[in-house]
Amino acid sequence: MFSFKLGLKNLTRQKRRNILIILVIAFAFSSYLLMDSIMNGMEEMSFDNIKNYDTGNIQVAYPEYWEDRDELLLENLIYLNQDMEESIKNTDGVLGMSPELRFKANLNNGIDEVAVRGVGISIEQYNEVFATQNFVVEGSMFASGESKAVIGTSLAELMDLKVNDYITLLVRTKEDTFNTIDIEIAGLVRAPNPMINNGIVFVPLDVARQALNVGNVISMIALKTVSGDEDTITKTLTDSFKSKNLDLKAYSWKESAASVIALSAAKKGGIGAVLLVVLLIGMLGIINNVILSALERTEEIGMMKALGMREWEIVFVFMVEATGIGILGGLAGCLLGYAGVSRLVKYGFSIAYMGDASEFGIPILDRIYGAWNYPAFSFLFILGIVIAVLSSILPSYWAAHKDPVKAIYHR
Amino acid sequence: MSLLELKGVKKIYQQGKIEVPALRGIDLTVEHGEFTTIFGPSGSGKTTLLNMIGCLDTPTEGEIRLNDKKVSDLSRKALAMTRRFNIGFVFQSYNLIPVLTAYENVEFAIRLTNHTSESQMKEKVLKMLAEVGLKGLESRRPNELSGGEKQRVAIARALVKEPKLILADEPTANLDSETAADVVDIMRKMNKELGTTFIFSTHDPMVMKYAKRFINLKDGMISADERRG
Repeated sequence: MFSFKLGLKNLTRQKRRNILIILVIAFAFSSYLLMDSIMNGMEEMSFDNIKNYDTGNIQVAYPEYWEDRDELLLENLIYLNQDMEESIKNTDGVLGMSPELRFKANLNNGIDEVAVRGVGISIEQYNEVFATQNFVVEGSMFASGESKAVIGTSLAELMDLKVNDYITLLVRTKEDTFNTIDIEIAGLVRAPNPMINNGIVFVPLDVARQALNVGNVISMIALKTVSGDEDTITKTLTDSFKSKNLDLKAYSWKESAASVIALSAAKKGGIGAVLLVVLLIGMLGIINNVILSALERTEEIGMMKALGMREWEIVFVFMVEATGIGILGGLAGCLLGYAGVSRLVKYGFSIAYMGDASEFGIPILDRIYGAWNYPAFSFLFILGIVIAVLSSILPSYWAAHKDPVKAIYHR
Repeated sequence: MSLLELKGVKKIYQQGKIEVPALRGIDLTVEHGEFTTIFGPSGSGKTTLLNMIGCLDTPTEGEIRLNDKKVSDLSRKALAMTRRFNIGFVFQSYNLIPVLTAYENVEFAIRLTNHTSESQMKEKVLKMLAEVGLKGLESRRPNELSGGEKQRVAIARALVKEPKLILADEPTANLDSETAADVVDIMRKMNKELGTTFIFSTHDPMVMKYAKRFINLKDGMISADERRG
């Protein structure tokens, strides 16, 4: 116990150096916690933005359509009958369904033309699944039975369009003939998912069907489900389709967001590298401190050996001191991290300067918020102590192994 | 049975390819309760001899027996245990731990050996500090003590575990003559009262005059060994 007390008292020596090492460790730890918070926040927001504005929790489509879904072909479309609709709606965990007819179109404002994705929707059902209606910044979503369109603010800006302006969508029908949709803009949206703002034109489902000459079909059905149960519901739905001899399949949002998930995993790999650097900084700080302390206290070590202290007892004294620095550094790091993460969670930070973040694979509009990851705090704190203990063993042993005569006379 | 016996002790240091003999064959017997001084010019081997006797170093050749137990070929761990229970040290530069108070510096030594109760241990430490004249200064840290007071703490630290032998390497070298006389007085008093054997190296004639036995070292050999009544 006396060795323990001595180790703790030694923490009060070389205060400036110890404080500096504690601050270095604290800075490294808090930086990690901030990065972790940003990464987690970005991941949460990205996933929410995919689910709430693009895919829903689950999408139902024919596998052939799904594989080429980015091509927006008018093939392998679903004929949605009452029976199928009821069956999907009544599946446990399904909270809403939105049939969609997706198609390629060129948006013409009378002067310029730009390629967009047209999406035919049944507005009431769409609003059950997606949160886009909450981000209408001008005008409104079109009402049921109304023949109007909704576009994103970025697209409107690009094409110099306003609410009540008329646009022309140039489309190709199923038979590959040209057709147009002349439609008035009902509202402009600025959703957190940049994709909605940049290149999508929402039109009523029946308008799209008529213009594309596809009859009573849709490309896919987006479902809102109980969050977290997507995998189970996906399996239930697919099994249900199979039992009815339907070739349809349900796909969790994770399959649509595979590239974002892969990007997120890569970012986590990156943060793992940051963690390694952080731990390396901690280790070097501790090792450096033990070596310097041992050099400064050579005569003292000699005296301890002369008194008959065994090597492990001297090692223990140095390890207690090093561990104390690790604990203080870890605590300070967690406190700094807590303050920083609180701020990030509350206020976030702007990524507007990056321009369109979706170009970098981040489906977030202009502000990223941090997310709490409490286990990271305790993990880092415990890891800090473990690293302090482990990294102090060798230099402490080196100090304790000094020849007593050389140590006493500082030779 | 003698406390200490050295037979043909030699110590040769290797400096690169050159062998430097520090002790060239020491034969010495020290009885219980002796107050012995080792003197001689610098480089004569005084400190080396004290290190051998104190089990801090092992001889290249020869045999050292402490309390009839051969200690010259013990392992590092066994040497540490021998030092812990049998030998006290007083160093020229005190070697106190700066973050500990006078009380704690002395307590440090006794905690390594003593298995008595906390209250008995405390009583012993306070008594020893009082014996060396530091009553009332127990809670001071080394930087709040004078050189003489620091050396007294070092003596109390050496004595508190009641070792059979105390080795002091130039204990008064950093002290003025008055303080040095006080320190030697304390050592002599402890020698008389507790019967502890003291061996110390010194250049100081004032210290030498208190000694009962004088061992003169020259070129790593004992050139004179005299006793005073």
